[in-house]
Amino acid sequence: MTPLTATAVGKRYRTRWAVRDCSFSLPEGKVVALLGANGAGKSTLLRMAAGLVRPTTGELSVFGTPLRGRIHPDVSFLAQNRPLYRDLTVRELVRVGAAMNDRWSADRVREVLALQAGVDHDAKVRTLSAGSVTQVAIAMALGRLPRLLLLDEPLADLDPLAREETLRIIMAEVADRGTTVVMSSHVLADLREVCDHMLLVDEGRVQVDGDVEEVLARHRVLVGPVTDESTVEGELVSATRTQRQSTLLLKDAGPAPEGWAGAEPDLDSLVMGYLRASRERRASAQRG
Amino acid sequence: MIWASLRLQRLQLLTLLGTLVVGAGVIVLLRSNMIDALDSAQIAHCVRAADQCVAPDGAVKAFRTTWSTPFETAQLLIIGLPALIGVFIGAPLFALELEQGTHVLAFTQSVSRTRWMLSKLVVALVPALVVLVVLQHLVGWWLDAAGSLGPLYNGPFNRVNFAIQGVSPLGYALFAFALGTFLGALTRRTLAAMTAGLVAFVVVRFAVSGLVTGSVFAERRATAVGEVPEQRESGLVLTTGWLDASGQAVPSDRASVLNQACKTTPGGSPNTEEGYLACLRESGFAQNYWDVIPDSRAWQVHLVDVAVFGVLAVVLLAGTTWALRRQS
Repeated sequence: MTPLTATAVGKRYRTRWAVRDCSFSLPEGKVVALLGANGAGKSTLLRMAAGLVRPTTGELSVFGTPLRGRIHPDVSFLAQNRPLYRDLTVRELVRVGAAMNDRWSADRVREVLALQAGVDHDAKVRTLSAGSVTQVAIAMALGRLPRLLLLDEPLADLDPLAREETLRIIMAEVADRGTTVVMSSHVLADLREVCDHMLLVDEGRVQVDGDVEEVLARHRVLVGPVTDESTVEGELVSATRTQRQSTLLLKDAGPAPEGWAGAEPDLDSLVMGYLRASRERRASAQRG
Repeated sequence: MIWASLRLQRLQLLTLLGTLVVGAGVIVLLRSNMIDALDSAQIAHCVRAADQCVAPDGAVKAFRTTWSTPFETAQLLIIGLPALIGVFIGAPLFALELEQGTHVLAFTQSVSRTRWMLSKLVVALVPALVVLVVLQHLVGWWLDAAGSLGPLYNGPFNRVNFAIQGVSPLGYALFAFALGTFLGALTRRTLAAMTAGLVAFVVVRFAVSGLVTGSVFAERRATAVGEVPEQRESGLVLTTGWLDASGQAVPSDRASVLNQACKTTPGGSPNTEEGYLACLRESGFAQNYWDVIPDSRAWQVHLVDVAVFGVLAVVLLAGTTWALRRQS
């Protein structure tokens, strides 16, 4: 059963569409990177999947059950601003979590909190470092024993060490329990090593959806002379042109013509290519 | 869920408990001091009817002067508590969560929004109402002991007395609390909800409480013109006027013109008492009447009062539910 399916999902805030006509289906047991620029609709998409926001159009299903304005029992959600009761101690907060859930594993929470340097259970949440707050928030999310874990910018505001440790907790969860993870980020370096599926959204629309290796294999970066682009076959995603050469990102490209060098893009240049293209589209649309 | 709500309301609950303990202690102490003072001034028997009792010179006046401040403070406490409940317990209840985003944590656990909301409402409201009602009755018990030497002398329809008696304080507190939670859920700003809640409560409270004592409950009393009424029972007189021979009320503008005309003779000199009364009868006035709510029926007015504020509270709580359900 697919952990998360979106059918023509759209969300409008007043006159602005945050998400528009999104359709996708995520594979089970994978780590999915939800990529996009700031304000691309990543958070809205995750909040809809968590049952916090009702879509204006379309429908989301989690493990085959359509969402109806509340979270699916098998889903956990980590919000971007880590909403925790800051005046409570970690111990009290965990007890609140237990009180608010039908299914709750205190052992799992303790286990996650004991990882890394460990979090002091009697410390007030407000006294914890950003890294520890995220660790506590993830522990709370995992205490629900989710099969689908939605993480909104789990690594933002963390120093490199805390970032690596947080990733390790998430990867251990995937390895131990086969949990499907959806992680949003606008920092690619965070996700490159851990994700195996990608969902690139821009202006509220899905631009790329697929297995990372397959997506990369379908794209080519061609570098060649500025003067002659007509021989290049394939769907042009984006191009950067200097005085001496053009660098083109192509989808379903044919063989590199003479005078051109072709290579498979890495994730960075692929995502950069798509984001640059959409920014240019936006700019030209504004110019009218 | 109840434990979670209790823990999150800990500060308010401890404050309420403190208010109850200190308030009850002070009231009991003041009451026993007051009874001692009544005895030593030899006016304990004046409690029942201060106007007719025989007491040492100036003792009643001295007692009233000494004790008016404590009495007023106690009355003010019961009048002010509903507003405080609304401002410090109602308004922050949801506003604080929405402001800090912790509602997202609550909304992404298995407990439903409705249950979350209900448990928070119950844990915040019930202890506050209990404290209010206990303090209200302790103050009432103290003021009863002062009888007509204290504020009860002014009767149950005196504005202040009415506000602290019967089920009215409960209605005001319910309304203030619901108003606070609604504004909190709507504005998502604690400070804004507290301020707007206080202002709105004071305005509505005074605007509505004036309307409650309508003539629905009034009983009509009448005496023939010229007859001196026997001693009027005490109560709230709503309207007075004249009835004609058929028992219909004479319109007040016409009545005042006729009344004015009867005060002078056709010659222009002031009329005599008999001439005046005869003139009134000739003009068609048969009886004096007054519509009154007797003191003994004050409880019915309290019931109307609590019903009005209770309905307002229910509407506001429904509004809170609506605001929270659409919250994302």
